[in-house]
Amino acid sequence: MGERARYLYAITRNPPEGFLDDARGLGGNRLEAVHHRGLAAIVSDVDLDEFGEEALKQNLEHLEWLETVARTHDDVIHRVAAAGPTAPLRLATICIDDDGVRRRLDDWYLALGQVLDRVEGRREWSVKVFAPAGVPESVGVGVRVAGGGADYLRQKKAALDARAAAEEVAGRVGEEVYATLSGRAVASRRLPAQDPRLTGHTGTMLLNCAFLVEVDEELSFEADTDALRRDFPSVEISCAGPWPPYSFAMLEQR
Amino acid sequence: MTEAPRLLPQRLETDPESVERDLFRLVLTIIELVRQLMEKQALRRVDEGDLDEAQIDALGVGLMHLEQAMEDLKARYDLTTADLNIDLGPLGSLLGP
Amino acid sequence: MTTAVEERPVGQASVDVAAGPQIALVDLLDRLLGVGVVLAGDIVISLAGVDLVQVRLHALITTIRSDMVTPR
Repeated sequence: MGERARYLYAITRNPPEGFLDDARGLGGNRLEAVHHRGLAAIVSDVDLDEFGEEALKQNLEHLEWLETVARTHDDVIHRVAAAGPTAPLRLATICIDDDGVRRRLDDWYLALGQVLDRVEGRREWSVKVFAPAGVPESVGVGVRVAGGGADYLRQKKAALDARAAAEEVAGRVGEEVYATLSGRAVASRRLPAQDPRLTGHTGTMLLNCAFLVEVDEELSFEADTDALRRDFPSVEISCAGPWPPYSFAMLEQR
Repeated sequence: MTEAPRLLPQRLETDPESVERDLFRLVLTIIELVRQLMEKQALRRVDEGDLDEAQIDALGVGLMHLEQAMEDLKARYDLTTADLNIDLGPLGSLLGP
Repeated sequence: MTTAVEERPVGQASVDVAAGPQIALVDLLDRLLGVGVVLAGDIVISLAGVDLVQVRLHALITTIRSDMVTPR
């Protein structure tokens, strides 16, 4: 067993008594709260053999390790977020000990106050818009073109231009969805499109975004999403949530 | 504030039964990638207007044969265009949408 | 490894954050790692569980493209 450190999952404020119960975090270690100035940092012990700087660099390259840690981290976030406004932290935020944790809380005190105010009573919704599967595809012109080489190129160009035009129309739909749902949300963020091999989805991802929505507005938000599905039947609008406010509460860490 | 994306390495697992097909899939993916790049570049050169008719025709005929050859190869190994879109990471966008 | 996009059933209001379907791994990693998750352009080819060859596709493709973009 190597040197120990504190893994920091999330920060909340004034949590209810016993909200951590016997809950466990990474490596089956007990979750604990480090209280400081009204804030509570949720931590557990980890081994520097696994989470020290060098070890981390290696481990982050392994998807199995990454998945296990991410899922455990997420479970803890869900538990804490269910008990009150929560600022989740990025993966692998390590402090040397509880004094180190308190120093971080001091560093982030003002930012945390703002973040926790922003997310209180609100939850994250993830919305993605996909073009239909098979659009656009590799453009096969059909190789028995009677008119010869120049004609083949002309047809190929026309097909590629048509595909570009379709992509542009699809892109505009994505923008419309974003604009409409932004109107219903407290905050919205665009995220990078995801690799289809990671999502398992065949159609092009036109839009990937996150919305921070008042709990009271969630049904309206869903209704807006359904209305958009009716307005734009040619695309697939996928909506997932509610999630803890990952995209709206992350503090920049260095 | 943009950082480099996190890269996850890819593993092409083959076994003695499927190794031929798996490797062929990899090879065909690369060939298809090159074919599409050639196609794009040819159209760009045609647009630029510095090729004469004979060159344009030769380019077109060459690319047409190349496309046919790809179709034949795919058919031989029972592979679709979707099958070829494997594991190219950030380059994958060149082969697909 | 592929994970499907999660679809939330219409009209179902969840009060408890923990009760919804699991967040897709790709979405979770995008948020927890702070950058988009991308598959590398390198492939390790293994046979019978033994890693044998690494193909550096990025280097290969970069080379080809440079040649093409430079007109003769």
